[in-house]
Amino acid sequence: MFTKKYLLLTVILLISVHSKVLPQIEDKPVVISLKAITGLQYDLARFSVKPGAKVKLILTNSDDMPHNLLFTKPGTRQEVVDAALKLGEKGLELNYKPDLPSVLWSIPVLAPGESKTITFTAPEKTGVYPYVCTYPGHGFVMYGAMYVTKDEMPPLHKDLNVPPNRRDDYSNKNTEHGHTDHTPAPAHPYKETPPYLYRTFTDGSGPATIAVRLPGNLSYFWDAGTCRLRYATEGDFLNMKELWAGHRQAVAKDLGTVFFRDKTRHPFRIGAMETIPDVKFKGYRLLDRYPEFHYILNGLHVYELIKEKPDGTGLIRSFRIPDADRPVKFLFSPDDGVRYTFSSGKRSQNTVELTPAEAKQFTITMTKKEGEVL
Amino acid sequence: MRFFYILLVCGSLIISSCSISKVNTIPSSENGQISSSYVVDSIPLPEGLSGEVGAVDFLPDGRLVACFLRGEVMLYDPKKKKWNLFADGLQEPLGILPVSGSEFIVMQRPELTRIKDTNGDGLADLYETVTDDFGISGNYHEFNYGPIKDKEGNLFIGLNSASSGGGILKEVRGKLDTTTMGFKGQMFSSVPYRGWIMKLTPQGKLVPYASGLRSPNGMGFDSSENLFVTENQGDWVGTSALYHIEEGNFYGHPSALIWTDSWTAGNPLTLPVAKLDSMRTKASVLFPHGIMANSPTQPLYDNTQGKFGPFSGQFLVGEMNSERIVRVMLEEVDGALQGACIPFIDGKGLRKGNNRLAFAPDGSLWVGQAEHGWAGSKGIQRIVFTGKQPMDILDMNLTYKGFDLKFTKAVNKEPAMNASSFKIRRYNYQYHKLYGSKQFNIQEIPVSKIKISKDRKKVSLNLESLEPGYVYELTLTDVQSDTGEMLENKLICYTLNKLKRR
Repeated sequence: MFTKKYLLLTVILLISVHSKVLPQIEDKPVVISLKAITGLQYDLARFSVKPGAKVKLILTNSDDMPHNLLFTKPGTRQEVVDAALKLGEKGLELNYKPDLPSVLWSIPVLAPGESKTITFTAPEKTGVYPYVCTYPGHGFVMYGAMYVTKDEMPPLHKDLNVPPNRRDDYSNKNTEHGHTDHTPAPAHPYKETPPYLYRTFTDGSGPATIAVRLPGNLSYFWDAGTCRLRYATEGDFLNMKELWAGHRQAVAKDLGTVFFRDKTRHPFRIGAMETIPDVKFKGYRLLDRYPEFHYILNGLHVYELIKEKPDGTGLIRSFRIPDADRPVKFLFSPDDGVRYTFSSGKRSQNTVELTPAEAKQFTITMTKKEGEVL
Repeated sequence: MRFFYILLVCGSLIISSCSISKVNTIPSSENGQISSSYVVDSIPLPEGLSGEVGAVDFLPDGRLVACFLRGEVMLYDPKKKKWNLFADGLQEPLGILPVSGSEFIVMQRPELTRIKDTNGDGLADLYETVTDDFGISGNYHEFNYGPIKDKEGNLFIGLNSASSGGGILKEVRGKLDTTTMGFKGQMFSSVPYRGWIMKLTPQGKLVPYASGLRSPNGMGFDSSENLFVTENQGDWVGTSALYHIEEGNFYGHPSALIWTDSWTAGNPLTLPVAKLDSMRTKASVLFPHGIMANSPTQPLYDNTQGKFGPFSGQFLVGEMNSERIVRVMLEEVDGALQGACIPFIDGKGLRKGNNRLAFAPDGSLWVGQAEHGWAGSKGIQRIVFTGKQPMDILDMNLTYKGFDLKFTKAVNKEPAMNASSFKIRRYNYQYHKLYGSKQFNIQEIPVSKIKISKDRKKVSLNLESLEPGYVYELTLTDVQSDTGEMLENKLICYTLNKLKRR
C-alpha cells in the first residue's frame, strides 16, 4: 500500500520535473542579495535556484542587532538552532555555528551595518534548504527557504517553509496571488463599532495622535501633543498591521481619503493674534463612546467633542470653555478642504472671534468641499 | 503499517500532554507522592484577542488585570473563568498600577494615563493624563515602562532609548536633539529623557532620576524600596543585567547623557570609553548571556511569605528569550547590593516571552507573554507551588574566602564534601559600544576548602582566588539531598563587584 503510493508520487514528481526543462547557465553565478532587517527577519523569506547553480550570496545586516546566516540540510533547521543555543557562553566566539554536518554554508555574526559575501554551489539534489540566523533567540522566527528546484515555488501563503508572518508578505508578494488580507483575523476580542479610537502614529500628525473612527465612514486624527485636530478622512480607517507586528519602524496606514487638513499652527488664539497658545493635554472622556478632549490653552480649560454630520458630509465640533474670561479667536485656512459654519461669533475673513460669553459653548461645523486635493 | 502505528502513538502522546497542561491539578506520581514543586498551567484567553501581554497585576479581590499590546485592558475573574473588557484604544500599554477595581494607571506610548469607570458600567470612560512630560520621536523602540509606586506616593517610570534600526517621525513631541543619532548599531536619545528612569512626584512633577538605560523592560522594588531595573544585552551592555537604581546615577548607555542638566561634554557617544566607564554604576547582578538570560524583563519581589515556596524575599525575573524565569538573591556588601542569579523554572511547560509577572492573592505566580517581533510567545500562564519543597540553592553569600551556599534541604555529605562537585569559573564582560560582549579573562577557580554546617544545609566554599570585578559561575554537578534528590538547578552565577570589608 505504502510502496504503491510512493511509486505513484515519484512518477508524478518525475513528470512534473521533466515537463519544465529550463535553460540553465552553468558558469555565471546567481546573485542573491539578502538583508537582515528589523523584526528578526531576512528581507527575502525565500528564493529559488536551480540544482547545481553557482550562487553568490551577499548578506547585509541592516538591523540594529547582530545576525548570522546558516544554510542547513533540508529538515534540519530546528536541530541546528537548538544546537547553536546549547553553545551557551561559547556561542559568540563560534559565531553561533554548531559543528554539525547538517550545516552547509554560513556567514559569521555581522554587526549592524556590516556586509559579507559567500559563494557556493547549490546541491544537485532538489529540496528546500533552510537558512536561519542562529543568534540566541533569533532562530525561532528568523529564517527562510532556499528552494533548489527547476520548478516554481509553491504559493507563498501555503508555504510552511517560511515563517508564518511572512506568508502574506507585501515584500514577497509575487505572481501567485495579487491580493492579501481578504479575510483578516479579528483584531480584538470584540467587534469594533464606531465610534472607537486608537492612540497611534500616523503620517500627517504628531506622535501622540488619537485616531477616531466615526459612524458614516469618517475618521479624524487629533494630536494630543499640540492639542488640535490635524486631519480627517473619508473611506476606510487604518491598517494597523505593520505597527502591531512590532520591532520595526512603522505607522498606522491611513486607508481613507483626506478631506480636511489643518494648515494653521494652532486654530485658537487666546488674547493676542500672534501668540500660539501654550497647550497641555489633560485627557478625554467618552460620551456615548465619542471622546471629548480636555486640554488647557493659556490657562483656559477647553473641552472638544467631535461628531460626524448626520448626513455624513463632514464634522461637527462642539466646544466648551466654561471659564472663558477673554475673547477667543478661531483661525482657519481657506484651502483646508472644508466650509465652515459657526454657531456664534463674529466672522471676518478666516477668523471668528467669540466673546467670553459665546466661548462658553459653541459649535463649528466643517463640511467637506468636493474635489479638493489635500 | 508500523510507520502508521508510530505516528498514532506520537499523536496520542502529544494530545495527552496538551490536555495535562490545561488541567489544573497537581500532578502526582504513581505512589501518590507529589512529583514536582511547581506546576505550570495556561489561562484561556477570549477569542479574537491577540494575547501579547504588556502588563499584569491583581486586585485585592483576586481578579487579574492585564494589558495587551493592541491596546486592551481586560479583567479576568479566575473563579468564574471570565474575561471582561475594561478599556481599549491604548498604544502599547506596558505597565499598570491598580488604584481600585474601577481605576488604574497605565503606562502607554504617549502618556501615563489614569483610566477610570465613572458610571459603573464596567468600562472606562475617563482617560486622564497623569504625565506626558517626556518626548516621543516615533522611533519604534521607545517603549515606556512602569509605573511603580513608593510609599511616599512617587511613581517611577522608565523610558527606552531609540533604536538605530529605525528612524524618527517628521514631527516629534518634545525638544529634538539629533546629537546621538546616526551611529551605526547604537541606540540614541533624540528627545528628552529617552534612556532615563523618571520620578513623578505626588504633586505631578516629572523629574529625571537616573540615566544610561538602553532597554529597561522591567522595574520593581524590594521590601526596603530599593528600586531595581533590568537591562537588555546590546550596545554598551555586554550581557543583560539587573541595576539597583539610585538618584543621579548613570548606568552605562551614553546616549541618555545628552539630557543631563547643563550637559557640556559634547556628544556622549564619542567620549572616551574609560571616562564613561568611570562614570557608570555597575550592575548588581549580571545575567550571563546564553546560559542565564538573554532578555530579562520584570523583576518581581517575592512577598508571598512562603505561599510561593521557599524563596520569599528574592526576586523572580521574567525572561523573553527562553522558557525560563530567573531567580535573583541579593546581599549588601561594602555598602552596595550585589548577588547571584539562578534559573528558577525550566522545562516545566512555561513558554518563552515571559514579559510580565504578578502574584495572585493566593500566592500563585502569573506570567504574561509577548513577542512583538522578537523571540517570544503569547498568552498567560500560571505557576503554582504544590507545597513540595524543591531541592535547590536557597541563598548564596560572599564570605571572606569564598561563598556560603545555603540549600533548601540538608545535603548528602559525601558529594558535597568533594571539591570536584563544584565547578567554578570566573569571567567578565567588556564595556564597549559593540552589541554584547564575549566572556573575557575566563579562569577556572579551584575550591581550596569545603565546610558543611551541622544541619548540613549550608556549604562553605573557600576559593583559591577571590577577586572583585568578575562573575563567579558555579556548576554544582553532584550535590544532592539526603534522600538522593538532585538539585533542581545546578547553575548559579554570582556578580562580585565588591569584596567583603574586614
